[in-house]
Amino acid sequence: MDNDMRDDVIVTEGVEKTYDDSGVPVHAVRGIDYRLSKGEFTAIIGPSGSGKTTFLNLMAGLDTPTEGKVWLSGRLISDMSGRELSDFRRDNIGFIFQAYNLFPVLTVEENVEYIMLLQGVPGKERHDRVMGILEKVGLADLSGRLPLKLSGGQQQRVAVARAMVSDPSLVIADEPTANLDSATSGELLDMMRQLNEDTGMTFLFSTHDEIVMERARKIVVLRDGRIDGNADPKDFQ
Amino acid sequence: MFLRMLKFSWRNVWRNARRTVITGLAVGFGLASLLFTEGLMQGMTDHMVDATTDPWMGDVQIHREGFLDTRQLELTVNRPGEVMDSLSGDSLVQAFTPRILSPASLSSARELKPVTLIGVDGRSDPGVTMLRAAIDTGSYLSGDSMEIILGHRLAEDLEVELGDVLVITAAGTDSGLASSMFLLSGICNFGSEQLDRYSAFVNIRTAGDLLDLGDGFHEIAMVLPDPELARDTSLSLWDRYSAHGNSALGWTDLSPQISSMLDLVNISMLIMSAILFGLVIFGIVNSLFMSVYERMFELGIMKAVGTRPGTIGAMVVMEAFWLGLISTVIGLVLGILLIWITSGTGISFGEIEFSGITFSRPIYPDIDPGRAWMYPVFTILLVGLAGIFPGIHAARQNPAESMRRSL
Repeated sequence: MDNDMRDDVIVTEGVEKTYDDSGVPVHAVRGIDYRLSKGEFTAIIGPSGSGKTTFLNLMAGLDTPTEGKVWLSGRLISDMSGRELSDFRRDNIGFIFQAYNLFPVLTVEENVEYIMLLQGVPGKERHDRVMGILEKVGLADLSGRLPLKLSGGQQQRVAVARAMVSDPSLVIADEPTANLDSATSGELLDMMRQLNEDTGMTFLFSTHDEIVMERARKIVVLRDGRIDGNADPKDFQ
Repeated sequence: MFLRMLKFSWRNVWRNARRTVITGLAVGFGLASLLFTEGLMQGMTDHMVDATTDPWMGDVQIHREGFLDTRQLELTVNRPGEVMDSLSGDSLVQAFTPRILSPASLSSARELKPVTLIGVDGRSDPGVTMLRAAIDTGSYLSGDSMEIILGHRLAEDLEVELGDVLVITAAGTDSGLASSMFLLSGICNFGSEQLDRYSAFVNIRTAGDLLDLGDGFHEIAMVLPDPELARDTSLSLWDRYSAHGNSALGWTDLSPQISSMLDLVNISMLIMSAILFGLVIFGIVNSLFMSVYERMFELGIMKAVGTRPGTIGAMVVMEAFWLGLISTVIGLVLGILLIWITSGTGISFGEIEFSGITFSRPIYPDIDPGRAWMYPVFTILLVGLAGIFPGIHAARQNPAESMRRSL
């Protein structure tokens, strides 16, 4: 890692991912060089099949590249595997997915504290931090509820709280508003942007949603597995 | 963390309550049927052992070495007084009785039949055999030298009734024939072909005089507190009474076919258990795989947020453990209830004969906790083990792949 990387949360170098689809190779990501700086609130956009989710998975260490390297917080994660990679994700990345984000048998509080439980954070500290973040996302009074008793927007807020509670270097959100109506999506994004401004935490989205795009500070356009330049968020406002 | 995962897995088990209940009932019925079969087999075993030892044999017998093979009249128990004294002071021996055994012919006014003449000590015999209890008509031996008891089948064959005259002819120890006249004093029914058709019971002193044995006798039958003790080769009584040319044998040696039968019952139970547990394992593996496939996206998220593969695998094994526990509780309740009900009413097999033993009374299932504990324990263990395969499968899933395939 060179000195230029010090302000970057993510650096990718020639990252490629090729799937085998019944014997037919599918080139989902084709040699991407990319840097994401600390504190950014960036959206990756592109048409379906452009490789957004695959690229996000590679940057999050959820998948391994066929070629190339990925650094996250200065650590080369593309060479990690198994337990080391699990622990690294646990301590450095917060995840928000488009749906079914939460564990249905755990209450809101238990969902949010889950990662800290994996980290071995003591009970009292866990509780305080959970209640603190639930306060911030406006769900402190629903901490004992099961996810199925919450609206879609409330569930995504809980997912945001879970992603941020352990203070990760990066929050990755894959189509976080895909199942929400426009008003709820706007509220959720406003809340996330506010948290980004308050905490300086880095957010990286993949999205089709203009509500996300208009609130992003940077937009990266992906097409056919390659970065096809940047877009201006103002174009979507 | 462990307790949280245990709680987490418990809740996961109840996510699909219908499936859990159906799986629990399937495994529970399997366990209940095993427990019931074990109880029934135990009841049958008890009955077979009782039917072998109670009526006549006793739990242990002492003979002069070679007597059982040759039935020679002169092979009486060595040092009879010493042996009887030792038995009187033996705390392990509940009761004992001496006997004389000899082949003889028994004739009535109309028929002649070969029999085993049995000299019985009327004072000590009731503590060991069921002869007195088996008498249907007439009376037990009072000590009168003329009295004789026959089985009901033999009485029918000889066409005799109470009070009729019978003559026994037997070879004495001097090789000469000896005869004696008796009056039929009792007719018994043991439910055993050998005792009811081929045995004649007289007082031991009368038999000794007839056969010119003096105070000698051929056999001592004894009763222990539990027939199972006769299978314990470490007991001191074997050495104590297998001395001075005598030999002490337990009912398992005296009736090896019954002992083999009991071994066969154990092997049958083992095979049946293996088959049932095998089916249980496949059922549980199937149920857990369904549960894992249904939650693929969720398992992908668990992995994505940093849950170690081993933790995910352990969670699935814990779910299997809970399923095993639920199934075991259902199985124990059903099994014990079934045994409890039938142990009161008994199960009648309608006088069937099995390995020479007539099941004349109902079988009362009985559970031996010393043996039965293994069924619930094995159920929990095996069901838990059955969770390992789906657990490994869940642990090995690539998170991105799991989520992509689930959407």
